[in-house]
Amino acid sequence: MKVSERPKIISAICIIGYISVIFTFPTVFSPAIKKIGYLVPAIYGFIVACNFMAFIGLWHMKQWGVQLFLFTFFTKTTFFILINDLGASTIAGIISSVIFSVILLRFYPKMDVNL
Amino acid sequence: MVFLSLIKESVLFALQSLYANKLRTFLSLLGITIGIFAIIVVFTIVDSLEKNIRGSIESLGENVVFVMKWPWTFGPDYPWWKYMNRPNPEYNELFDLQKKSKTADAIAYRVGGRRTIKHKGNIVENAVITGCSYDYYKIKSFDITEGRYFTENEVNAGNNVAVLGSKIAEGLFPNNQFPIGKEVKIAGKKAIVIGVFKKEGESMLGNSMDNQVVIPFHFAKYILDVRSESAEPYIAIKARPGISNAEMKDELTGIMRSVRRLKPMVEDDFALNETNLLSKNFDVLFDIIGIAGWIIGGFSILVGGFGIANIMFVSVKERTSIIGIQKSLGAKNYFILLQFLCESVFLSLIGGIFGLLLTYLITLAARGNIDMEIALSYSNVILGLTISVLIGIISGFVPAYSASQLDPVEAIRSN
Repeated sequence: MKVSERPKIISAICIIGYISVIFTFPTVFSPAIKKIGYLVPAIYGFIVACNFMAFIGLWHMKQWGVQLFLFTFFTKTTFFILINDLGASTIAGIISSVIFSVILLRFYPKMDVNL
Repeated sequence: MVFLSLIKESVLFALQSLYANKLRTFLSLLGITIGIFAIIVVFTIVDSLEKNIRGSIESLGENVVFVMKWPWTFGPDYPWWKYMNRPNPEYNELFDLQKKSKTADAIAYRVGGRRTIKHKGNIVENAVITGCSYDYYKIKSFDITEGRYFTENEVNAGNNVAVLGSKIAEGLFPNNQFPIGKEVKIAGKKAIVIGVFKKEGESMLGNSMDNQVVIPFHFAKYILDVRSESAEPYIAIKARPGISNAEMKDELTGIMRSVRRLKPMVEDDFALNETNLLSKNFDVLFDIIGIAGWIIGGFSILVGGFGIANIMFVSVKERTSIIGIQKSLGAKNYFILLQFLCESVFLSLIGGIFGLLLTYLITLAARGNIDMEIALSYSNVILGLTISVLIGIISGFVPAYSASQLDPVEAIRSN
């Protein structure tokens, strides 16, 4: 199957994603996250790193990017439910992720299967 | 097995890169080292300060309510002019509380002040003199290493006996002299030493028993001006097991109002303070310090991350032909990706470990010079290593991915 060029909407999603990772990364070692538990920064950091890698994959129109994006979305949501952090910003993040997922799944068949 | 050999190979490549370009790698890793150092050192200091202050607050007594003139609240709207006219808690009120309270386990009265204490030629100036009622030992947590605490009769009779803090005892009885039974002079009044408190170390709130001399209240009347504001008198009440502070405070408010004969519409002329009020105020302070350290360290880590990304891009460029050969010999894309990613994580980890080592050295140096325990905790070590690994993954992923996508033929031709 021929891999199509990256649509503008995916470029926009990736740029928003990179910016969100830049802002999210410092929260990994924030005092608030550290207070929750010893291993919480490590778990949250792993999710943030996976999210970043997913956007790299999406930028290159790779199917693994969508798979990784969905994986991080579900893990992040579960993580927020477990630590009982369901504030306005978290809800906004979940809603935007759902919208992104729908868009990404629409373009999924046109993406590259390889790494 | 393949994964292990992959890690081994990546570590070797990283070490090779470190060895071949010492200055370049050192400068790139410096960012990570400084970042980890800044964050972890601030977290370590905050944790140690917090531990020390919490210890000091706990030593005031857990589940204890203090009847005082001034409330322990802070903030811009502190009506000090109202509190200034309040009466000080009095010794007689202790008996009213003891008689009427059903929720209290122990009630003690305490006054304090600073006086000079002497033994022969040895003088300790500004020693904290604490005059208390008998039940004080049930409220304040302390241990006695030598001798004993007062008996109830000694306290009620106002005998001239004293229990010394370890620092005071060291000052008055140097060279390991045995202080029990010896006579000391507190502000010119003779007192017999009957006990010495166990050494506690410095307290952030300045309430360490090391600098205190505890004497019965009726004896303290001859040494301190117990009716004065400067004596900071208070009644401390410890709740019975199973009784919450809120329940006890309700009861105490009623008793104190009846003791002071306050009419229903008149405001309380006393404050009921709790140690958790102090903890809450300190929590805010620690959060601010923690956030400051987080911001400073965060920027250093950001710069360090760019350094690692830069070194990895250079590494990919330098080894393009090797990547080409590896791929032409059958190496998969994921293998090349993981190889560079592991290398980047390893480099970042080295920077992080140096940062942690630096923090550890600082805590060792501080231990000898500061009279407070500063220790690098496991949680901070885990956090430092986690940040290093994450920085390695995030900054190394793009160069590693670009390496994995190289065309083998063009990669071999690049040299």
